[in-house]
Amino acid sequence: MLDVTKLKKARPSYIRKSMYGPATETGLPAMRAADLPGMVALPVQSLFPDIPKAIYIEGDNLAPIRKATEAALAGVDMSKIKPDSSVNILTSQYGFMIMGGFAYREMVRTIKEIVEQRTGCTNIRLRIATGFRLKEPEEIIEHYGLAEMFDGKVSPALYIDRAVAIETPIGKLMGIRKIYDADYIIHVHHGELRELDMHRMISRTMKPFSMSYARFETRSVHHMNFGPRSSNLIPRLIFESPFVQEKFTFGVFLAASPQGVVGVEAGNDLMPIDRRLMLLAFKSYGKIRELYNEIKDCVCVMDGTGEPRYMVGGGTTFGNLLEAELDLFDLDTVPISLGFGLYQPPPTQPKLKAVNPAIRAMVMNHFWIGVPQLELATACPMVLVGEEMFKLVKEDCMNIEMSKHVVTAESLPAAVHFAKKVAQTDKVIVFDGAYGAITCSEALADHLIKRAPEVSRRVEEEMMPKWLRQRGLDPSEAL
Amino acid sequence: MVQINYRAEVIPEKCTGCVDCVFVCPTLAIKMEARKAVIDESKCVACQNCIGICGDDAIVKLERAEPMERHVDYQSVDQERVLEICKRANIHPMQWLCLCTATRAREGAAAILNGATTPEDMALATGTRSGCTVYCAMMSMRLLKAAGVNLPPAFKWHLFDTTQTLWDVPQDVIDKYSDYFLVEDKDVFRKF
Repeated sequence: MLDVTKLKKARPSYIRKSMYGPATETGLPAMRAADLPGMVALPVQSLFPDIPKAIYIEGDNLAPIRKATEAALAGVDMSKIKPDSSVNILTSQYGFMIMGGFAYREMVRTIKEIVEQRTGCTNIRLRIATGFRLKEPEEIIEHYGLAEMFDGKVSPALYIDRAVAIETPIGKLMGIRKIYDADYIIHVHHGELRELDMHRMISRTMKPFSMSYARFETRSVHHMNFGPRSSNLIPRLIFESPFVQEKFTFGVFLAASPQGVVGVEAGNDLMPIDRRLMLLAFKSYGKIRELYNEIKDCVCVMDGTGEPRYMVGGGTTFGNLLEAELDLFDLDTVPISLGFGLYQPPPTQPKLKAVNPAIRAMVMNHFWIGVPQLELATACPMVLVGEEMFKLVKEDCMNIEMSKHVVTAESLPAAVHFAKKVAQTDKVIVFDGAYGAITCSEALADHLIKRAPEVSRRVEEEMMPKWLRQRGLDPSEAL
Repeated sequence: MVQINYRAEVIPEKCTGCVDCVFVCPTLAIKMEARKAVIDESKCVACQNCIGICGDDAIVKLERAEPMERHVDYQSVDQERVLEICKRANIHPMQWLCLCTATRAREGAAAILNGATTPEDMALATGTRSGCTVYCAMMSMRLLKAAGVNLPPAFKWHLFDTTQTLWDVPQDVIDKYSDYFLVEDKDVFRKF
């Protein structure tokens, strides 16, 4: 068994500066949570050796990403694209958050260059879709030098901007015109788990068609007007519409596990990719999610780029700890969802709160605003680090009540000290964007090391067979 | 009670008159005068859509001298009628109308009973659409339609009347996509 005292120091992901983060002098936090005394990096590999291994982790040379993209594209038919065609490469903001964003950037660059080489087409434009942070695409374009990469042919695609109507079997749904304003589109996304409570690994590869690439009315149809399982029909109906099919050429996905980027998937048909990414998700995230379910009390420290729900700890987004007590790969499970107004859980479900009760307190060292998340502050004690963070929260128009439910500490050590006292636990987990290892306190590392073997057994023998059977797959053959 | 502490203001020297901001304002508070955008402060809910769409950085957020307060007392109207509108919309009265401002659907129904006939009226009455402006637009449209209001055609690309719900999916689609839990999720809604 691992000795926690011999674990290495954690290596958090770097933080990208943004107008949506706290306006500290440097735009960055004064201290990273990994630098707190007693924090360690618990390697995911040591807990679950069978989790798919990475070909790239933040800071590595990007050559494996290029190589994997080239290999994935080798079997893709690009004959639709002619030398005089116009092509939009469609990207989403979250891809640029994964491990600092440079793997996604490299994949995008490789796709552009290969399409140019194979088709002779030079009118290739980049479109960057986003969530609620409307200026984020502009920040991404500047930070990653995308205007230079695309000879200036790059543009944000905002959900409030001009529309295009898409006929579907349930009537007109609204796409963003800038997404579809080319002869052809290339769908470039990722296969990270991100928000399982929403997509449930149902039509995962298509989800951006009713989110990133859709106007806000259609994003709301998806999130507010359907249940957490049925909502995933909306992207499929849009994707299968004659309008989209006429433009769609192929999709490319950065495949990830808690270890890092594990490869690149590409194809003209999204259905087989959907299946492969689903199996990868079971193998990659099934055990980590269930391990998070073994945390019965903890303090969570938010210390990275983006909104808390999508901040990564141990290669897995915080949203998965928020919902850890529910097995969301199990399609019989119905979580509290936007469709249900986040008001109360459906009958017969055990979960009573929007936030996992194991999260006894939260410390916000660095995060971005830009998503409604009041329930985090109302469900558990929340400590903000520094006056700049408080100002950010106070001025956040998407959480106007939040500042009434928080306290502010002057430094990260003071905030964590206070949170531990309130939570009455010395188990601390940090969401700092790190892959390959969980940044946590020694006490939590010790607990997780002890629980991992039983988690492994439970997932392999009880949970995963059910997930597979529910999707019509034979457990003895599928993996 | 929704307290709006900020407002948007145009910097005329930077405004190029592109009109992009006019169509993204959830309360239609922006008009063009002499080819410059002008914001009606009394209608600005400080959502920042105009700031987000402006490619010229010609709109800024400023603190209001006095906060603007918005609130609808759902108890001031006939509760049976509130329930009836929510029921017809297939929305629980306690569901969030707006997550950003923590406003419930029953307050939206009450705003309609108090005379709101458009999503913009509802936003100005309740203070919703002052945050992300996204989810509350859908809920407002559903409540208005359930109250028998015919939504007007979209003002350019301001807001499109596309409110398909689980309840509107045709049977042939339900049958074709049986692995999407359409029937089962409807059941969950009914119990809920």
